[in-house]
Amino acid sequence: MTMTSLKKTSQLQVTVAITKRGLMRMRRLPSLMIPSIIMPIFFVVAFSGSFSSVVELDGYSTDKAVNWMAAWAILQGSAFSGLGGGGLTATDLENGFFDRMRAAPITPSALISGLVGYSVTRAVLPTTAVLIVSFVALDADMPGGLFGFVIAYFTAIGIAAVMSLFVLGIVFTMKTLKSLAIAQVVMFSTMFLSVGQAPLEAIQGWLYHVAKYNPITHVIRMGRQGFLGDVTWAETQPGFISLTLLLIGSGLWARACYQKVDI
Amino acid sequence: MVRQPQAWAPTLFFPLLLAAVYAAQFSKAVNLPEFPYPDVTFLDFILPACVIQGVLFGSTNSATDLAGDIENSFMDRLLSSPVSRSSILIARLSSAFIYGLVQATILIIIFFAFGAELSGGASSALALVFLTSFLSMGVGSFLIAIALRTGSQEVVNSLFPIIFVFIFISSAFFPVELMDGWYGQIAEWNPLTWIIDWTRVITIEGFSWDAFLRASGVIFLISLAGIVTSIHQLKRRLAVAS
Repeated sequence: MTMTSLKKTSQLQVTVAITKRGLMRMRRLPSLMIPSIIMPIFFVVAFSGSFSSVVELDGYSTDKAVNWMAAWAILQGSAFSGLGGGGLTATDLENGFFDRMRAAPITPSALISGLVGYSVTRAVLPTTAVLIVSFVALDADMPGGLFGFVIAYFTAIGIAAVMSLFVLGIVFTMKTLKSLAIAQVVMFSTMFLSVGQAPLEAIQGWLYHVAKYNPITHVIRMGRQGFLGDVTWAETQPGFISLTLLLIGSGLWARACYQKVDI
Repeated sequence: MVRQPQAWAPTLFFPLLLAAVYAAQFSKAVNLPEFPYPDVTFLDFILPACVIQGVLFGSTNSATDLAGDIENSFMDRLLSSPVSRSSILIARLSSAFIYGLVQATILIIIFFAFGAELSGGASSALALVFLTSFLSMGVGSFLIAIALRTGSQEVVNSLFPIIFVFIFISSAFFPVELMDGWYGQIAEWNPLTWIIDWTRVITIEGFSWDAFLRASGVIFLISLAGIVTSIHQLKRRLAVAS
């Protein structure tokens, strides 16, 4: 085995170990996980119930509000899961454990990947929970079949990764748990200024233009398509490109902010 | 409020964000056949609910401060001084009321700036400010009781989602007439729906003593239950301390 491949293997092990550490913490402190599972379930129930009649308006292309709101709740749950890696890092920064990790022979990329891995794994739970509630209790449809489920999970994981990188950047800069509040405000504002709850056809005024150019709009459409009809490449492509660009952007942001930990 | 803007800024930000987003997203919903107020904008429809939402989110502050005083032993020092016991509770309840008053006033001014209208003019605005401040005190009294019982800021803060649930399962953002099945039934039974609907009558149709007294009556009952519980918890804490 060459030195380079040995290095790659050990850094991959570091990434896996950091992911596992986060998951172990989640198992030991279930209170960390309960809000991120309960809240998306509440969202799908509340939004489908409160806004059950809005599907009569143009653009919803479904006769059940749950088909529209399930994808929205899934992505909100994923965004919330994205806070997981940031929360873990902020705690480590406050109690000094992060400095010990930085002193160890770990590359920044492996460290960040591990934290993102934890957030992404976390996102699977609320996604599954929302899907179960939507289908068992709220009678949701999935005309997109198996591909619909696959694309919903893929989008959820992608959003969790983007939000995780974004939150890590903020936490690396501010180095405190309180920074999570700022991250949440920015994160949820971005999510709300999209087609999360209403299609572009129904939106009026300033929000129409914001939602139209918000990349999250394309990502939500990609994740939602299976609930509304067949999964097509035409609907997937803009979302896939947006998600890829968001991942690159948030990845560069997190990596650049990592340098600020020493300041 | 002056020293810790981070404690109240989010309670203004989130209701305003939701109002801005919902007013744009559901503006066409007023055209739905059973919508109770087809002649108003959706912003006017959700105005009272957004003010109530902001004030309810802010109602946790008084209780959180009290729990903080218990955690850092300031409460013990207060109890060892010749301070009237009832004034501790009255001060917290007044704080919740005044906090709600300031918040409601700021929110209404911002709504006006963005084109919202109150058909009853100043009397409707004053009624809305009073009702929401009174509600802030009523809900705050329950949270104060929990702060006295647990003495934990974390526990008080963790009750935030319950307030969120109560707001969403009500007529806050959409009329109950347009909600389906069991969800609509629960929303109909939610006391917050009654308060919001009667407050909405005041803001959309103009000031009415009937709607004002009905809303005040429900808030009075909530406050009474909360204050009785707070007094009970204060007595319990005093008994433990002595």
